[in-house]
Amino acid sequence: MKPAPFRFSIKFFRWFCNQNLHPSIEGDLLELFEENVKTKGVLRAKWLFLFDVIKLLRPDIIKSRRQTSHFNQLTMIRNYIKLGWRNIARQKQFSVLNIIGLSVGFTSCLLVFLYVHNELSYDTYHTKLDRIFRVLHAYGKEEPIAPEGYQVWGGAPVGPALLEEFPEVESFCRFTSPNIMLLEHGENRFQENNILFADSTAFEIFSWNLLEGNPATALKEPNAIVLTQSMAKKYFGNESALGQVITVDHKDLVTVTGVMEDLPSQSQLTFDALVSMVTFHRMRPNIFGYWGYVDFYTYVQLSQPSAVQALKEKTKTLYGHRIPENVGAARLDYEPMEGSYLNSVASRQPGPTGNLTDIYMISCIGIFILVIACVNFINLTTARSVERAKEVGVRKTLGARRRDLAFQFLAESVLITLFSVILAITAVAFLSYYLSQLVGKPIAYDVLLTWQSGLLLIGLTLFIGIIAGLYPSWILTKFRPTEVLKGKFKSSRSGSNLRRILVVFQFSLATLLIIATTVVYNQLQYLKNQDRGFTEDQMLVIDFGWDSIVQNKIQTLKNEYLAHPEVVSASASRAVPGDFFPNAHTGIEDSNGDLLYHGPAIYEVDADFISSFGMEMAAGRSFSRDFLKDSAQSLMINEAALGLYGYSKAEDIIGKRFEQWGRQGKVVGVIKNFNYKSLHNNVEPLAVRYGQALDLRKLSLRIQSNNMHRSLAEMEEIWNKLVPERPFNFTYLDQSFNAHYQTEVRFGYIFGTFTSVAIFVACLGLFGLTVYITEQRTKEIGIRKVLGASAASIMKLVSKEFLILILLAMIMAIPTSWLGMNQWLEGFAYRMKIGPGIFLTAIFLTGLIAMATMSWQTVKAAHKNPADVIKDE
Amino acid sequence: MGKNQLGEFEEIVMLTVGVLYGDAYGVSIKKEIESRLERKVSVGALQSALVRLENKNFLISKEGGNTSARGGRPKRYFTITALGKQAIQQTRDMRNQLYSAIPEIALDVRFS
Repeated sequence: MKPAPFRFSIKFFRWFCNQNLHPSIEGDLLELFEENVKTKGVLRAKWLFLFDVIKLLRPDIIKSRRQTSHFNQLTMIRNYIKLGWRNIARQKQFSVLNIIGLSVGFTSCLLVFLYVHNELSYDTYHTKLDRIFRVLHAYGKEEPIAPEGYQVWGGAPVGPALLEEFPEVESFCRFTSPNIMLLEHGENRFQENNILFADSTAFEIFSWNLLEGNPATALKEPNAIVLTQSMAKKYFGNESALGQVITVDHKDLVTVTGVMEDLPSQSQLTFDALVSMVTFHRMRPNIFGYWGYVDFYTYVQLSQPSAVQALKEKTKTLYGHRIPENVGAARLDYEPMEGSYLNSVASRQPGPTGNLTDIYMISCIGIFILVIACVNFINLTTARSVERAKEVGVRKTLGARRRDLAFQFLAESVLITLFSVILAITAVAFLSYYLSQLVGKPIAYDVLLTWQSGLLLIGLTLFIGIIAGLYPSWILTKFRPTEVLKGKFKSSRSGSNLRRILVVFQFSLATLLIIATTVVYNQLQYLKNQDRGFTEDQMLVIDFGWDSIVQNKIQTLKNEYLAHPEVVSASASRAVPGDFFPNAHTGIEDSNGDLLYHGPAIYEVDADFISSFGMEMAAGRSFSRDFLKDSAQSLMINEAALGLYGYSKAEDIIGKRFEQWGRQGKVVGVIKNFNYKSLHNNVEPLAVRYGQALDLRKLSLRIQSNNMHRSLAEMEEIWNKLVPERPFNFTYLDQSFNAHYQTEVRFGYIFGTFTSVAIFVACLGLFGLTVYITEQRTKEIGIRKVLGASAASIMKLVSKEFLILILLAMIMAIPTSWLGMNQWLEGFAYRMKIGPGIFLTAIFLTGLIAMATMSWQTVKAAHKNPADVIKDE
Repeated sequence: MGKNQLGEFEEIVMLTVGVLYGDAYGVSIKKEIESRLERKVSVGALQSALVRLENKNFLISKEGGNTSARGGRPKRYFTITALGKQAIQQTRDMRNQLYSAIPEIALDVRFS
């Protein structure tokens, strides 16, 4: 090995030596070292090298302070922040405007983020989520089947068959649709509307934690029930619920085998309690082997997510011959549980679904608001740049480089952004509660407290601060010190073109939002005012959940109620419009005399249903007590079902044969379409059959009363006298039907709220600009007034430019909003037309708001005494 | 006189750079001075002088190519600039002028 000098001596030298000199001097030192090694020996050479290094410690050789970048930068940054703070404190009005605008922008953006995050994280708490798939079914459909043609609802034997025949299926779990049960424990008796039967694998597949009981065995035995925590509280208070016995529907006993944590709010499938599937099996053993009976949501757990492709292919023919011939073909498909809340288009969802369009629209508003706030910031800062021109001039003369100045201004804008973000986070902490109220479900705030969000926020602060500060700092640092210091600058109008463009942009966004809001509200009104084909006012619906005690007394009940002077009509049925309904395999004779099978929705009603709900007949007659055969051999359909069976005229189908759920007979009537689902959907085919006592669940009373409160009490009294065993459980038809629009109404609220915020922020900016412009032109205005200008002409003078810009903005917003809102309306079967009226309203509104904002300042300017203004020198 | 003044050591360095014309870099200058003037020159003193002279624009330097010797470090070669030439000329003139102004008697050691 070649001899080398002490390592530390070289290191030391490199540390202190000037960057430009160090290679050549080091070379010289090494050359001398090599020579010394030869002549004087290694050790001495090493020492000599060290001495030489030490003797190099001279001011000319040591690196200058300017080169020690590290130390210098820190001081400068400290200086930037200090100066930034001073500037913010000096221009209070504008700083406050900026900070308010930006923090409102950030707050809305964060709230939108919370909401969207909430919507996107449905069902994500399941640890096996990527392997859980929902089984979709399509019945009697011709190929190819559109994704909308599938439904999540299917037959009971599908799950076990999949498990048995396909190794990639590790496990399955079926749920029934919600059941109505009257639960009773001691004093506590409630009608529960959301109890499901579930397979024993529920706790293995889904990440629901049991607080009490054994997850593996909780749903294995018949008559076992698992309650959610709040249900357990409701019935057992603070006692332990495990092992307690609950009476179901007066007679059956179930044992509590587990208490689970309440379902996270972000669950699509919801329930209050699970009863073991074996219980259901015992009640109706035949349907578990029958492929044609549809009442189950089936979830499968696969060995790995990718196995689903192969499974899709392999199970195409699983239904095959197993399904009864008259049902037609049946097909299986699968969709991942992950994201099904937002993405699934299949019908018969096990719970509420989200709406991607709504999420996009809300995200857009959030971003719009932030953009508008940033534009404000840019506008105000560039507008104020004139004031700071002198400062820039002086700084430049004193040797500030352009880069330093730019840093200075960027530091200022980042500082303002930082204030705004801190304010916004505080505001969000308070407002998240109201957001929960607004969207009608709990919104978790803690997403913002993770370190990822922290990083994101810091990044966002820097990003927005720099984006917003970039243009102003570019403009400001461009000034030539000589011109500025001479005072030439005041007359130039640097940056005013960009300002115009930004104002146009800002108000385009604001107009866009106003138009969108108008459309959303009008559409909601339109939906509410739609003719539904039945009268929903003053209709009291009592839900007794197929209670046999009530069913047996139904005629007595009706008679008793009808005896009450305020009850106009009474009718018992399986469902009322807006309710859940089943589909039934229904064959009706077609024009060739063959039975044609389809699966329309069905209603089971009594003879008073049609008249009581104010529905009309298109042809034929309604059920009647005068025709004894009606109770078993008659069927009504709606107009929408006509086409399904190949008829165009309602009269033609009257008297045709039908076959449905074990009944055969004649079609006796065609009902005019009434909306039995919600106005999202067109009226779909419906068959209405006579409901036997066993099929009845609801009693509807049309009431004519001046005092609904008193009447209601009397209705309850009658009920409790006749069927004390069953709680009086009622809803108003109009309310429960409107509940279907809850999502839209909420969306309308959210949209409206955020739009107001956006407009507020835009106006804040406009206000700032007018303040600035009028301040700039104070003297001009004073002189004009002295020369005889009227207040009105001065207001016109000041606001003319902005008004033109805003008009331009509004015109630009129209096509975009027209396209966007038409897209949104696609989601409704009944939709309003977007006419010119809406645009005119929006333009009028925006114009008015803008005028009002500006006039605040312009009126003040126009009425100033010119004497005060001009004398000011 | 004036700003083109050279210190004693600076002058020696300038002159040596001139002597070594084309081959003047740290080590060679050091050795040249040491051998001709029989005095010890430290690397620090020399480099510091070179930096000063270069800052005064009396010298300019150029890095030569890297060699495998010297730990792969380049040599920095110095040459005299026009201004530098003026400076040594001035210094020399000044000395000559002073020298010639000395009365002959002052150098006659017999009278001292």
